[in-house]
Amino acid sequence: MSDAPYLSLEKLTLAYGKSIAVENLDLTIRKGELLALLGPSGCGKTTTMRSIAGLMPVKSGRIVLDGKDITRVSANRREIGLVFQSYALFPHLSVFENVAFGLRLQGMSGAALTEKVDTGLRTVGLSDFSARKIPELSGGQQQRVALARSLVMKPKVLMLDEPLSNLDARLRLEMRTELQRVQKESGVTMIFVTHDQVEALALADRIVVMRNGVIEQIGTPEEIYNKPASSFVADFVGFENIATVVGNKLVGSAGEVTCPATLPNAAGLAWRPHAVPLGSGPYRGTVRGVSYAGSSREYVLETPLGPVKTEVDAALPTHQIGTELAFDLPPEAAAPLRKIG
Amino acid sequence: MTQKLYTWTILSLVLVFLIGPFLIITAASFSAGDTLAFPPEGFSFKWIVKVFTVESFRESFVTSIILAVGGTLTALILGIPASYAMSRYKLPGAETVRFLVSLPIVVPGIIVGLALLRYFVIPLGISISLALFVAHTALVLPYAVRVVSASLNNLRSDMEEAAVLLGSTRFGAFMRIVLPNIRGGVLAAFILGFVTSFNQVPVSLFLSGPGVRTLPIDMLGYMEIVFDPSIAALSSLLAFFSIGIVFAAERFLGFSRYV
Amino acid sequence: MFQNRTEALALALPAALFAAIVFLVPVAILLSEGFRTADGWSIQAYIDFFSMPLNQKVFLRTLRLGLTVTFVAAIIGYAAAYAIVTLPPSSKGKMIGLVVLPLMISPVARTYAWIVILGRTGIVNQALMTVGLTDGPVRFLFTETAVFIGLLQLFLPLMIISLISALENLPRDAVPAARVLGANWFQVFWKVLLPLTREGLVIGGTLVFTGSLTAYITPAILGGSKVLMLETLLYQQVTVANNFVSASIIALILILMSFAANILLRRIASARNSK
Repeated sequence: MSDAPYLSLEKLTLAYGKSIAVENLDLTIRKGELLALLGPSGCGKTTTMRSIAGLMPVKSGRIVLDGKDITRVSANRREIGLVFQSYALFPHLSVFENVAFGLRLQGMSGAALTEKVDTGLRTVGLSDFSARKIPELSGGQQQRVALARSLVMKPKVLMLDEPLSNLDARLRLEMRTELQRVQKESGVTMIFVTHDQVEALALADRIVVMRNGVIEQIGTPEEIYNKPASSFVADFVGFENIATVVGNKLVGSAGEVTCPATLPNAAGLAWRPHAVPLGSGPYRGTVRGVSYAGSSREYVLETPLGPVKTEVDAALPTHQIGTELAFDLPPEAAAPLRKIG
Repeated sequence: MTQKLYTWTILSLVLVFLIGPFLIITAASFSAGDTLAFPPEGFSFKWIVKVFTVESFRESFVTSIILAVGGTLTALILGIPASYAMSRYKLPGAETVRFLVSLPIVVPGIIVGLALLRYFVIPLGISISLALFVAHTALVLPYAVRVVSASLNNLRSDMEEAAVLLGSTRFGAFMRIVLPNIRGGVLAAFILGFVTSFNQVPVSLFLSGPGVRTLPIDMLGYMEIVFDPSIAALSSLLAFFSIGIVFAAERFLGFSRYV
Repeated sequence: MFQNRTEALALALPAALFAAIVFLVPVAILLSEGFRTADGWSIQAYIDFFSMPLNQKVFLRTLRLGLTVTFVAAIIGYAAAYAIVTLPPSSKGKMIGLVVLPLMISPVARTYAWIVILGRTGIVNQALMTVGLTDGPVRFLFTETAVFIGLLQLFLPLMIISLISALENLPRDAVPAARVLGANWFQVFWKVLLPLTREGLVIGGTLVFTGSLTAYITPAILGGSKVLMLETLLYQQVTVANNFVSASIIALILILMSFAANILLRRIASARNSK
């Protein structure tokens, strides 16, 4: 993986008619990187991906790939692969012909073609399937065919749209490892789009969190997970307790509390449930919900800030609903946020 | 039990009304007598045979076949790209296009035939055959667009995008990916168009001349002059012809899925 | 969705232009003839047209036949469609096939069959005379009744098909539920079936009504010059009287009625889609 930018999006603005989907987006991707575009639906991640592929016209800005401006290059000459969420296989062609489709267009035929297709199918573990028809395959197998079909083209960038969303839980784990293996073996630069933070954290070298058409944060999975830049990202990666900092006060959805300790210089603070100690501390709340989660027990407290979620060892005695308890929101255990809202 | 009685009484009455005349005319065409009658007087194939010996029937049958095949093919050649544009593109004026291609369903055929005769054939010297061909093409166009559009809308558009990303041109993607996958719909549109055009009367009424006459128009003229079972024989032959085509289409294509 | 507008227009334009040149332009010129006089535009021709008793009679007859055929088709269609949807699936498919079958047959052939049935020596007259209800043959051909029967047979399948699809989309158990709640069959029909199948009824009705209005073959064969309808009148005006002004007026009447019915149909279809 080199550090030089391989694919850059420069001040990219995309629109459907008059409605702007992505605005002034700047992003660079390194060669051989596995990048995740993460965000809720409608955040512009799919639109961004489609514009890289050339399926979505660019309103303004540039896309540069391997030193060449490809903003106006048509989709069939971009050398970018895309595995569609629906796989978009050709149902009237066999597995072999699906994988051979692009190679045939390049004029390849005979033994060279067969060898390339076979290699592609072997890479995804479908060597014995080349004569099958598409409708005979399971969802997981279809996705592998789609992957092989893109891989044999040796694309400069391979993109995947929600690659795991159509698979059941067991296949999802399997495909996750598979994707990582294929990416490491082929060294292809890979971008995948997902709304699932677990997938992004598990797979990606780097994550781009998007919201309303702009980038909210870019970072490694560790950075995103431990140091969310904003309340939006914090909420997305499981910080369930978020408060705004105003002077020495913490402000929540329902009200505010005064913090006895000195608060850090941040717009807000965020705590995961396990970072909120129960039974001691300067604040008080009433238990409104208890749920048992194996090794731990989760409580929802009604507090002056609004609902606060905590998670404590299941071995500790249970508190009944309605009990008033002390709790703490220790600033040193919180992730400082640069931006709220 | 009363429910069952009701069901079968109603259905037999309706079927007798809908199918009965067709059976009677079939029986009448095997008559050995010289006048149209039911029950037929005796049994013979002479009227069936006669149909094939009438020169004008042979000519107009060929005319109708050529019109139905040619008109439907032309309608498909015009209609498939238009349907594709409406289903896959942000087409400016899509509503106007939709309105224009569906006009032939709304405007009665007799008016179109008259208008073409009066403003194209007579003043511009366009031949009646050409006008007839154009009229039948236009008549079939709405059906072609409707059936093909339905097929296209059932086909995921990301397949074409996938083909383009694999290096294909948009046109190549259409030919290699879209067309093979809407083949059933296109064939269904062809059959529907063929039957519509072949059975059509009003549009052809004013567009006939010496040597140019569709089979149904020819029959209408013939039955005013001759009152023997030959028209009955021809009618039942035609009925079997249409039913045969539709049955074959249903059998091999699952025609009704598309219509 | 592709964004290229030029490509989209290039694809759609041939069909649109074809329809415009073949349909829109000549038909528009034809329609304008009814308003054109030597010294400008006027609706005098329309006033003249409608003041002629024959034209009034034909216009009213066409409307009357259209409405009665639609009404009777709705009643028979309801009975038949309800009977068909209650059939077990295997015989249901076959029955629908039998109902659709006549639509594939040439209307000329279908209409001609009625000559064998309703003619002077046709089966109906034979039966009447055998039973002794009449001494001589009753004239059926070239009466409004014959045209009515012909039109009903031609268009009944369209009504049945529309009602079948409406009845099949009925919420399951709506009828048994109403029965359990104490409704009698009349109430079930009036309060449950009819409101829930109104759409299908309107769609079928529109198809039958416009079909009957613009029918040519049936009035031509079964009505002749005694029972003219608008289309046969138009044909006669052109071929016998060489009167293109009348033809233009009839054309406009036919198009307006057909358009009105189709707009109604589309309204209902889009109201359903937007739900």
